[in-house]
Amino acid sequence: MSTFLQACVNGLLMGGFYSLMGMGQNVIFGVMKIVNFCHGEMLMVGMYLTFVLYTFFGIDPYLSVPIVAVVMFLFGALIQHTLITPSLGTKSFTNLLFLTVGLGLLLSNGALVIFGSTYYTINTPYSQTYINLGPVTMALPRLISFGVLVVISSALFAFLKYTTTGKQIRAVSQNPVGAEVVGINVKSIYILTYGIGVALAGVAGSLLTGFYTIFPTAGASFGFRALIVVVVGGLGSIPGAFLAGIFLGLLETMVALFISPSYSDLIVFVTFIVILVVRQTIIARRR
Amino acid sequence: MLKVSGLNAGYGSVNILWDLEFEVKDGEIVAILGSNGAGKTTMVRAVTGMLKPSSGSVQFNGDELSGKNTRYILDAGIVQVPEGRQLFTEMTVLENLEMGAFNRKTKEHFRDNLKKAYGWFPRLEERAKQAAGTLSGGEQQMVAVARALIGEPRLLILDEPSLGLAPNIVDDILKVASDMADHDGISVLLVEQDITKALACADGGYVIENGKIVLHGTAKELSENEHVKKAYLGI
Repeated sequence: MSTFLQACVNGLLMGGFYSLMGMGQNVIFGVMKIVNFCHGEMLMVGMYLTFVLYTFFGIDPYLSVPIVAVVMFLFGALIQHTLITPSLGTKSFTNLLFLTVGLGLLLSNGALVIFGSTYYTINTPYSQTYINLGPVTMALPRLISFGVLVVISSALFAFLKYTTTGKQIRAVSQNPVGAEVVGINVKSIYILTYGIGVALAGVAGSLLTGFYTIFPTAGASFGFRALIVVVVGGLGSIPGAFLAGIFLGLLETMVALFISPSYSDLIVFVTFIVILVVRQTIIARRR
Repeated sequence: MLKVSGLNAGYGSVNILWDLEFEVKDGEIVAILGSNGAGKTTMVRAVTGMLKPSSGSVQFNGDELSGKNTRYILDAGIVQVPEGRQLFTEMTVLENLEMGAFNRKTKEHFRDNLKKAYGWFPRLEERAKQAAGTLSGGEQQMVAVARALIGEPRLLILDEPSLGLAPNIVDDILKVASDMADHDGISVLLVEQDITKALACADGGYVIENGKIVLHGTAKELSENEHVKKAYLGI
């Protein structure tokens, strides 16, 4: 029983990361209708950034979250302005596919050149601190990460729902022509959106460093899962992405617990395909 | 108030508008008439900054607007109700109307203007919390008009308000437009295919064919014109 609860808690936590990744991907897709194939690599950049801040400046991984958020936001805004916006004009899906996939390769290989293929970990004084919650034991870094994830997700949801800028982002995602009619600067919204998406991925990376190894391709599996979250949770839906992420995390740990950890990737993607097929059939029936 | 002269515009190397000239005076309703594909919507896009004119001038109260961006033109006081409404369908009616307040001035006046808009279209107040996409076509057109009113236009451009709507709803919307012209001194540029309806409420008009103005005159002159009768009214 306690192993089961432990697995639930761990699943919930990993799910929180998938949610954060998925929400970033979802905001980007919602507004620009492009899939950000380098989303996982952005998480990886966030990890190395946190690692550098810790190793060279002694900044605690959790304190570096806001710094990583700002730096990654600016990085994303720069990429949007110089690379993605010009390619959007061509309306070619393949251009943007190659652009974001290429960017991902550039980032992960760049990390390989700079940091080598060594697996790094960050050991803080509290890394090995455990907290007992009834039958469940949880490492303190994981607990803090989960708290931060929930706060960020709620903040993002509130931002999109209630602020003027958030409403403008939704307006552009629903009707770019209508947005232009009411004087919204669509290009700035693109920059803002991509910046936010990349910042969310970077923050996820930063939070992961407390208990996850840092290596050049660390982001790949998170990038793929972000896509699943977007598709399962519903395009453009932030609460949907949050729930889908949690579901995915729980599914993974349950598979690891009851079947075998080595099957978790397999089962996750099979479930994804099944959901797609079932949903497609339901949609087809309704027509 | 609005004076367009020598306006040329198009997409890529294809020119659509040829030396367009027309004028809208204070408090006037001017109709731009023409059939599908005559270049009416291109004209609206060129005047509102959504399409950069290749040459020509768009003067608004002495300010040159040609080549300016949409936001600048909105600030100057030209607000449009676009063809096809272009609402934010998953946002509520109220949120759609909020988006109509694009600058600080209109944001400050939002409460008052909202009350005014609900006065014109009481139905919208009942539907305020509903997603705009769930409304009927007529109600959606009301949202689009109300959204433009929230922007405090000095010149309101209505692009094909009659498209796909029941005649009585079109009458309602055109009535709001003429009331505004009479009471609030707003000028209206009414872009329409339905020439009978448009001429019934307009002071004057221009007929556009293949991107060129072929005729202009008062509403009375146009409705009695032989060419208009034959080509558009089927008489």
